[in-house]
Amino acid sequence: MPQFHSNKNSFKRRDFIQVGLGALGGIGLSDILKLRSQAAAAKGKSANDIRCILVWLDGGPSHFETFDPKPDAPKEIRGEFKSIKTKTPGVHFSEVMPKLAQASDKLTIVRSIAHKQNNHGAGNHYMMTGRPTPVPVGCGAYVTFHPSFGSVVSSHRGMAQGLPPYISTPRITRSGGPNFLGAQHAPFIISSNPNSKGFKVRDVSIPSVVTDGRASSRKELRKSLDQLKRINEAVAEDPAVSFDEFYSQGFDLITSQKAQAAFDIEKEPEKIRETYGRNDFGQRLLLARRLTEVGVPFITVSYGGWDDHRKLFENFKKKKAGQLDQGLSALINDLHQRGTLDNTLVIALGEFGRTPKVNKDAGRDHWSFAMSVLMAGAGIPGGQIVGATDAKGYYASENIYSPEDFAASIYTKMGINPSEVLHDTANRPVQLVDHGHPIKELFA
Amino acid sequence: MFCLRLLACLTLCCLGTAVLQPLRAASPAAKVPQAPLKEAAKEAATKKERALSFRNDILPILSRSGCNTGSCHAKADGRKGFKLSVFAFDPASDYKEIVKDARGRRIFPASPEHSLLMLKATQSIEHEGGERFPKDSAHYRTLLTWIQQGMPYEIANEPELTRILVTPPDGKYKKESSLKIKVTAHYSDNSTRDVTALSHFQSNDKGMVQVDEHGRAKVGKVSGEGVIVVRYLEQVDVARVTIPPEKTLPAATYAKLQTNNEIDSYAYERHKKLGLLVSPPCSDNEFIRRATLDTLGKLPSPEQVGIFLKDKDPKKRSKLIDGLLSDRNATAWGDYWATKFNDLLRPNTQRVGIKPVYLFDQWIRDRLRANTPYDQFVRELLTASGSTHEYGPTALFRDKREAADMGAFVSRIFLGIRMDCAKCHHHPNEKWGQDDYYSLAAFFGSVKHKGQGISPPISGEPEYIYFKPGGQVKHPVTQAVMKPKAPDSPAVEIKDGQDPREVLVDWITNPENPFFARTIVNRIWGEYFGKGIVHPVDDFRASNPSTNDALLDWLAADFVAHKFDLKHLMGNIMRSQTYQISSLPNEHNLADTDNFSRSYRRRLPAEVMLDALSGLAGNPPRFSGLPKGSPAVRTWNNLLKSDFLDTFGRPDSSAACPCERDAQPSAVQALHLMNSKELNERLGKADSLPSQLVAAKKTPGQITDAIYLATYSRLPNTEERKASLAYFQKKDMTPQLAAEDILWSLLNSAEFVFNH
Repeated sequence: MPQFHSNKNSFKRRDFIQVGLGALGGIGLSDILKLRSQAAAAKGKSANDIRCILVWLDGGPSHFETFDPKPDAPKEIRGEFKSIKTKTPGVHFSEVMPKLAQASDKLTIVRSIAHKQNNHGAGNHYMMTGRPTPVPVGCGAYVTFHPSFGSVVSSHRGMAQGLPPYISTPRITRSGGPNFLGAQHAPFIISSNPNSKGFKVRDVSIPSVVTDGRASSRKELRKSLDQLKRINEAVAEDPAVSFDEFYSQGFDLITSQKAQAAFDIEKEPEKIRETYGRNDFGQRLLLARRLTEVGVPFITVSYGGWDDHRKLFENFKKKKAGQLDQGLSALINDLHQRGTLDNTLVIALGEFGRTPKVNKDAGRDHWSFAMSVLMAGAGIPGGQIVGATDAKGYYASENIYSPEDFAASIYTKMGINPSEVLHDTANRPVQLVDHGHPIKELFA
Repeated sequence: MFCLRLLACLTLCCLGTAVLQPLRAASPAAKVPQAPLKEAAKEAATKKERALSFRNDILPILSRSGCNTGSCHAKADGRKGFKLSVFAFDPASDYKEIVKDARGRRIFPASPEHSLLMLKATQSIEHEGGERFPKDSAHYRTLLTWIQQGMPYEIANEPELTRILVTPPDGKYKKESSLKIKVTAHYSDNSTRDVTALSHFQSNDKGMVQVDEHGRAKVGKVSGEGVIVVRYLEQVDVARVTIPPEKTLPAATYAKLQTNNEIDSYAYERHKKLGLLVSPPCSDNEFIRRATLDTLGKLPSPEQVGIFLKDKDPKKRSKLIDGLLSDRNATAWGDYWATKFNDLLRPNTQRVGIKPVYLFDQWIRDRLRANTPYDQFVRELLTASGSTHEYGPTALFRDKREAADMGAFVSRIFLGIRMDCAKCHHHPNEKWGQDDYYSLAAFFGSVKHKGQGISPPISGEPEYIYFKPGGQVKHPVTQAVMKPKAPDSPAVEIKDGQDPREVLVDWITNPENPFFARTIVNRIWGEYFGKGIVHPVDDFRASNPSTNDALLDWLAADFVAHKFDLKHLMGNIMRSQTYQISSLPNEHNLADTDNFSRSYRRRLPAEVMLDALSGLAGNPPRFSGLPKGSPAVRTWNNLLKSDFLDTFGRPDSSAACPCERDAQPSAVQALHLMNSKELNERLGKADSLPSQLVAAKKTPGQITDAIYLATYSRLPNTEERKASLAYFQKKDMTPQLAAEDILWSLLNSAEFVFNH
């Protein structure tokens, strides 16, 4: 009897009403259309074709030791690393990012995203959903109050040929869940390590214990035994009817050679695999690229361990910075070479930046007032630095943007109206992003 | 503190329903609909004669024009520096904002037409929200007159709005007919006013009836009942629209139906009214599977099925029900229902800590296994005191640390009232306001915390929850100290030294309480039928009516009369013929999805499905903190790693209670059941059902029968047996592989995945 608002199949709903709400919601209608068409104009790609690889650097990487070095600041702020030139004149990265420095012509660094959620629980939530937590939460909190980017994209794009629309590897990020969008928009987790021999993506192909011939004969057997009578009339709302659709999608996926090839990372030339780095993180990025190529619209690659309260420089040197630099640069260059960078949005960030002053343990602590976010692809200009922090890296000081602006940018790039109104489980209206404005430099 | 939380809430929510009206928010170019001219002229004529006040005349215009919705000027920090309260819950602040703030530039008394308010609203200058009303409209003239009159906030002895009445309040309508709704405001001086042009209308079910912004409604093409919710300022009323079927069935048809108890009489009564006819009874196989799954969360064993099918006693279904609810199944029953109560009660483990959650889980199980009367269960829970590391239910208070949070929680879980909206503003579709919200919260004002507090994700140190007299809960807008008062009830005096929580629980569990019993019987009904009599099950309100009041009333009264005994209630439900019908429709009930004239199919919940699989495939997964072989219905938090449970929609471990459980089937579930490496390998291991049958040298026919009986609770029919036997004969087939593939096929079929 009561009317339920469905947040799904939003293409049907995303009509007149919601465009109208955009007008009310702060981003003018004309702005949205303009930005969307710009996003789409990127070499004739429609925004609805854009896929996203989000690299989540859990813990919050230092902006000083990545993309916002302060070589002229005093030693206690500058830290132990030098800065190096990039391919972009006048732009410097930290010396531990040499490969990304050479790829700087293909990416934008936003140095001026800032917020006030200075602990992991709240920072994760803010940067993963574009919405601050409604109540203060603790540092170690794993909380969800709003759907994550990936879940929203999942609800918009839906499943195609049986491919899960939102994949997270190797785990779900703290606030990376679907919240009120429901478990069908939770990420599909690929926890196994693509760098290990015999790697398989779980569930998407017939397991090796079942031979090919047996797979097809048992499929036939299933067909003849699945006899529960279906009530096909839509008004009856028989869930067994949608059950059949899902099985048919599942079988499509198993039999799709294209999709199956994408899951098989061992098909990738060894040389390319080496470029990404023969480590867990690098191979996950490569897997992500392969998944976007068969149409998975949103993949989160989670890479933790950036909470360097101690021994930051040692930790960076040891392996982390090198893996990040190698993997990310390889991904961007590879997408560029394959001609798919224009329809792939690559983002790398954590929940916040780090304190300017190096602490007594040679670490840096949480600092949400400044952070650097790497973005590339999907029409984002290369060789660009957006905004700046002050001379010592304390505060974002030019063209300051909020997490809401960041969220609005992602959604606009993906063809989703950030002012769209969703409905939570209590059927209350919730705006997807609260007064965020797309970061204009990303749409130049 | 309240200020902060208020902001948080506004940020979270509160996009007014008004903006969802397409015509209203269409685009800057679209005109806001106006009252028909005749009414506007009439209204203007009366306005000339009387003094206008902000409260009674201007606020309704702001609300009607959508200015104070959560996506416009009622956003947390307003819009472009101009901030109104959501749905005008704080008139004094709105008045100050309009008349005094921005150095008074919003109102220009010397030349009212040039007031910023007037220029923006008519889009005479740029306004992101577009034109809210045109120049010279009735709204425009009212505002102008008010400014000319000197912008009074209120007028001496001005009457208060007491209620609104909608006419016609209910009626029967033919399909595709029309009606016009009139809204009359009643004031404290007994005066009335037609406020139709200033009210907001919303239909609950647009398939039944659609309504436009003038209150003109159009009835749909199907029979049933619809509700139109009307809001004017903080008052709400509803118009009920009944669309009877063209053709009803003769009374004799219903007289012939089997009636097992009162449930059936009330259900058939409803069917009669809507021209529905109940489906035929389900088979014995279906019944034993359905009742066992619904009551104990597991499949009946092949032996139980065999005994049940052979039993010639006409009362065997009743005997089965008694057995399911008997003490011999107390543990299984308690574990299964603990998963249900945990979805409502269990806090986020990473917030309150592992030990408190574990103890809370154990407490819930213990109390359920003992079949503690429901009123007693709730009393112990809501009055808990002690250490979070010693006494389970204190975890709830560790989680919901503010009195306001506890109030909203109690309201939703135990009273079926979603009062969350009223934390920050008046509920848009109901009578509940902030007074109700904070008066209820006031019962928890004297709950104190001592100890380390929470420090996620471990929260390893204990905290003590205790009662200390003298706590206060303040109204966030008026700052008044709230007296404890339950919804729809007078305020109560708390004696010195008395824990107000005790007084609240006395009120909740009083047999006369109108909410408590109805809420739980509706929840349990929802579990047995896949849909509540009120649905969603925790959303009781005039604007979301039940599909069968009489049935709900009877269930609640009987539950109270039987000392809040959940098992008694479940027995009643299962004994009804209404529960024992087929899921296949007849020509009279195909489209029925909420009157229980056929059984609705439901996917097995995550834990139940996993336990059923483990029973068939062997090698149950091991969960942390539980002994080997423990069923999934005994998992004590949603963090325990399990791809299976995540895939099948157990709640997100990052979510707080009450948490949402997704019951829909999905493609990822299909992929997991088909292809899971782990599950496929389990089928081949020694303790799987196929391996055991093959090891016992059973014939293909015996193997097929045993797998069918264990999975579907029935034997295969001729065709199924033939197909299975033929499969054993295939080239290169071994009995082991054939048995595995038959089981795999059944696990991947609708008959297994659904309770039907």
